[in-house]
Amino acid sequence: MTESISNLWSIALLVTIPIFATIIVNLLFNRNRAIKYISLISALSLVVITILSPYGFQWFTGQPALNPNTLTFTFDASIPAWRMALEFYFGPLQQVLIFVMALILVLVIGIATNGLTKNQGPYIGMIFLLFMSAAIIIMVNDLYHLWIAVEIGSLVVVGVVAASGEGIGQKAALKYALFSALSGAGLAIALALILGLTGYSNISDAIRYIQTTNLAGMSSILYVAFGFFILSWIYAGGLVPIHPLKSEVYGAAFPHGTAMLQAQSKLMLVAIGLVMLRLFGSLPFAREVMLSISVLTMMLGVVMALLQTDLRWILAYLIVSHSGLVTVGISLGTYDALVGGLFQAVNDVLYMSVLLLGCEAVYYFGKGTSTKTAVGIAKKAPWLALAMVLGTFAASGIPPFNGFQSKIILIQSALKVGLPEVAVVILILSVTTFIALFRGIYSIFLKPAETTPLAVSGSVPSEAQEDDKETPIPRGLYLSLAILVVITLILGVYPDLVIRFLTPVAQAVSIPWYP
Amino acid sequence: MVSVDSLYDKIKRWTVEFVGGSGYSNQMTGYMTGELQTVVFTLILASLFRIFSIPLGMVLLIAVAAALLYFAPMIVHVERESSNDLNRVLFWVVIYFAVIIAVTLWGR
Repeated sequence: MTESISNLWSIALLVTIPIFATIIVNLLFNRNRAIKYISLISALSLVVITILSPYGFQWFTGQPALNPNTLTFTFDASIPAWRMALEFYFGPLQQVLIFVMALILVLVIGIATNGLTKNQGPYIGMIFLLFMSAAIIIMVNDLYHLWIAVEIGSLVVVGVVAASGEGIGQKAALKYALFSALSGAGLAIALALILGLTGYSNISDAIRYIQTTNLAGMSSILYVAFGFFILSWIYAGGLVPIHPLKSEVYGAAFPHGTAMLQAQSKLMLVAIGLVMLRLFGSLPFAREVMLSISVLTMMLGVVMALLQTDLRWILAYLIVSHSGLVTVGISLGTYDALVGGLFQAVNDVLYMSVLLLGCEAVYYFGKGTSTKTAVGIAKKAPWLALAMVLGTFAASGIPPFNGFQSKIILIQSALKVGLPEVAVVILILSVTTFIALFRGIYSIFLKPAETTPLAVSGSVPSEAQEDDKETPIPRGLYLSLAILVVITLILGVYPDLVIRFLTPVAQAVSIPWYP
Repeated sequence: MVSVDSLYDKIKRWTVEFVGGSGYSNQMTGYMTGELQTVVFTLILASLFRIFSIPLGMVLLIAVAAALLYFAPMIVHVERESSNDLNRVLFWVVIYFAVIIAVTLWGR
């Protein structure tokens, strides 16, 4: 073998920079200014690396792949071969997803380092680890790393939620920790079964083995592995029936933390979903099961969002519900559906971040985020109200925002495969999302504050006294909102800016609905 | 004597019975919309069963419609079953997982 290993530099950096940043900000602990600069520089460097990086592989542990035809070793990724090393791949899909996550990371760190006053180091560290776990999951092409990254990701979710400092957050974190142990073990069993069946830890090798070998007598094992994969999938993305736990996690964390949590969750859904589609997509009934879970998640999430009276909880359930939209695309598995599903993942992360950061801004008015207590904020912060209304338009799939583009692709792909029911559900989901969000936004921003008879007698705090509780919204928060709203608008007008990154993977992975 | 109630009044009265509180609160609109959505979604989901078997799908659709009428208002049940209580979530995961395995093994 004369060729030399060509490990891509950026993959290693995307994993190690967040780890080093975590260690450093932990050591700095409460030195807020230093933490702010170091974490912002680290996060910005991740954005730059993602933009500049070429595409390629990273073979962790460095063994070359064995070409089964010639029985020679190779580092050439284009040759189908048995890969012994633990493999990472950075391609167009990874580039766009990690870029969006890194962008949210920069904005979230900017907000967290301004808003938090104590224990900044460990909290910011956990936000970085959240990014790292998502980056690994989306780049990994071997079963071991996938499992490890999912485990790390779930533990970090627990940390971020517990760090919110409220009782409800710690309770949600504990529940999630208990449950993640079950699901992590489930994924490990699934990986063990696949490894036992195929002999390969590399996902591409395992898929090639399954496709080229007659496994008729062993298909029960594949189905059991599929069942455990499903368990991991629903847990990672908060799909039905885990939706109450995951929405509790979203509702209990700081809203900016939830922006990162939901981004990580979407990346996990995409990564595990694509692996499932590649491994089990051709098994009878597998995609139907995935589709049923997705549709149920959309339905239950949005219905539960309608019943909430707190903006945080409305958003928490809507995030879960819209995860179902992403997985509908992956479950259908056709070229169009995959493009729509993956594009929806990108769009979802962006417009939900607008709404979550807007929700964070509502806290600065000192009356929480309940629709019963926080009222009439549009008068004090008209730009914030505008951002929230535009975010609602994007989430509801109203043109010219990005949500419209991905939803229309999903609706068309559902109709194309002969499932008008799914198209109708997506349509109803859009309308219901608008109702659920606008109920909250109307109460908090547009509804005038009620004047009670007691207010006349002067026995309740006057407006001037109430204003004392208010803190000015940081400019960084407004800037973050503006950046995100502009991006949602640009992607709504020019969807090809993202879609061209998604088409290669959709072409490679897609399977006809009825082969 | 002919009732002067409009359909809206009748539905509102029926919904207020299970929502409680003011009939004009914002919670009320949520519950009413939620009830309607649940029924529509469930019927659509039942109709999706035609992917597996059209005759069974038709039977299921009729059964679901009957069940929706019998258990109405559905939204109360949906809310209770979607509680984030750990025991309840575990219960549903076990049931759900059993269904997934049954369907996939049957599909084989």
